[in-house]
Amino acid sequence: MTHRSVEVPVIARVEGEGALHIKVEDEKITDLRLEIYEPPRFFEAFLVGRHYSEVPDVVARICGICPVAYQMSAAHGLERLFDVQLSPGTRELRRILYCGEYIESHVLHIFLLAAPDFLGYDDAIQLAADKPDIVKMALEMKRIGNDIMATIGGREIHPVSARVGGFSKAPRPKDLRAFLPRLEWALAQMPAIADLVGSIPKPPFDRPAEMVSMVHPDEYPLNEGGLASTEGKSFDSTTFEEVTQELHVEHSNALHSLMVGTDTPYFVGPLARVNLNVDRLTPVARECLPRTGLSLPEPDPFFSMSARVVETAVAIEEAIRLISAYEPPEPSMAEVTPKAGRAMWVTEAPRGTLYHRYDVNEDGTIREAKIVPPTAQNFEHMEADLRQFLPGVLDRPDEELTRLCEMVVRNYDPCISCATHFLRLEIER
Amino acid sequence: MRESSSALRALDGVEVVEAGPASKVLDLLDGVDAVVLVDAVRTSDGGRQPGELVRAEAGPSGLPAAIGSSLSSHGFGVADAVALAAALGRMPRVVFFGVEAAGVTMGQRLSPEVENALPQLVARIVEEAAALAEDREP
Repeated sequence: MTHRSVEVPVIARVEGEGALHIKVEDEKITDLRLEIYEPPRFFEAFLVGRHYSEVPDVVARICGICPVAYQMSAAHGLERLFDVQLSPGTRELRRILYCGEYIESHVLHIFLLAAPDFLGYDDAIQLAADKPDIVKMALEMKRIGNDIMATIGGREIHPVSARVGGFSKAPRPKDLRAFLPRLEWALAQMPAIADLVGSIPKPPFDRPAEMVSMVHPDEYPLNEGGLASTEGKSFDSTTFEEVTQELHVEHSNALHSLMVGTDTPYFVGPLARVNLNVDRLTPVARECLPRTGLSLPEPDPFFSMSARVVETAVAIEEAIRLISAYEPPEPSMAEVTPKAGRAMWVTEAPRGTLYHRYDVNEDGTIREAKIVPPTAQNFEHMEADLRQFLPGVLDRPDEELTRLCEMVVRNYDPCISCATHFLRLEIER
Repeated sequence: MRESSSALRALDGVEVVEAGPASKVLDLLDGVDAVVLVDAVRTSDGGRQPGELVRAEAGPSGLPAAIGSSLSSHGFGVADAVALAAALGRMPRVVFFGVEAAGVTMGQRLSPEVENALPQLVARIVEEAAALAEDREP
């Protein structure tokens, strides 16, 4: 009997804390657990009783890399329930803010978290020592995203200006237009980046998968739209909890998601979005797509990096377009009168579809909150991928096998801190 | 944080930033003469007592390995950020202060040991920042 095991007590280059436990006996997988031991942080619980106006501030703290996504899903959902008439220009400003977050998040992942694996380096530090120009370029590009978020959000981390109703303060056009030269520089880098990513060999991984993302008739979806899957499903934020379900998994502090009915996994994120929104790509993004090696439809998660490159181009192009035409929303904050009821919304965080639901009392306080982050939705698929990927690479030496397994997980750019915000506490009295 | 802030803001050319995720630390190392990093640490072998302060200076390749391994790694950790800046040849002077955490279980409250260590930590940060500010090129 041959025993192999892959033990990764702390998965590196993922946000948050998780471990991988795999046991193989005689070519059969006898144990496979993506153990998320990052402590849960009970966000849904301490939103209860808070006034709706506090929600964007609180949920922004769920994630340090994608706070905008949390604020947007919350704000839009509550605004729809309360029938808020946003000032013209608000949605455009929100879209620019979201583009800033996409640039910052995707560039960080492509170059510092994923690229080292694909280029044969142990980590980003080695990559930087060997190819400093590429890393410096990446950091400069990431900085643009950070700076856009700081200019609109009012602060480097956890944007303070995003509110239910709009923005507490909107930037002046000249402050946003100052980004145009930097954004044009960034856009000019994209074809070469696409070529670089396209030239990297990827482990072959041919397996079917159901991908889910938002879709929109006119634009690449970020803040608004319905939901679709590559299996032909069509739904929206109001039926999200009927089409998908969350379940507790013994070995994890994060919930997993499955499709209702078939009890099958699905995944969300850049690859899903590009697959489902290829007709909404902006010009340079469309040009970059084949150069990254992507040929749609493509469910192979090792092409997620390619999808992130394409989306970085979309974010840059959209930011340029919207900033060029930007006029501040006036007033920056619309009038908001709370109503009782259920607020639901989805937006596309950099890592995938993010769902928020708030049950609101007459006085505008939150009675119950449910937040389903993209990473939690992807965990079941990460494990399914590992199960399917492993048999094909069992002939590799241990170190390479371990590295490949970590890459399978890193494809999803998991944000484990987001995914562990919730744990249902049952108190027996 | 607040007490140190007012003492630190009184120093010329010193900025206090709550850095949050370590990927932000990367940006904060850019274009400055010196950085004082403050974070919770947790030595896995229990070598330090909760509330104990540790000070380290970054060498040519980054923070000492012992410090790096006691910081939690969130995708791209504080130690990684410093090491990356070093690898790119643009690391400022980095002084690190760590406070040994009592535990990393759920809950928002500081342990009494850490809380008691704060005044001393604040004093040392202010001292260090003042020394670095004086040292820096005019």
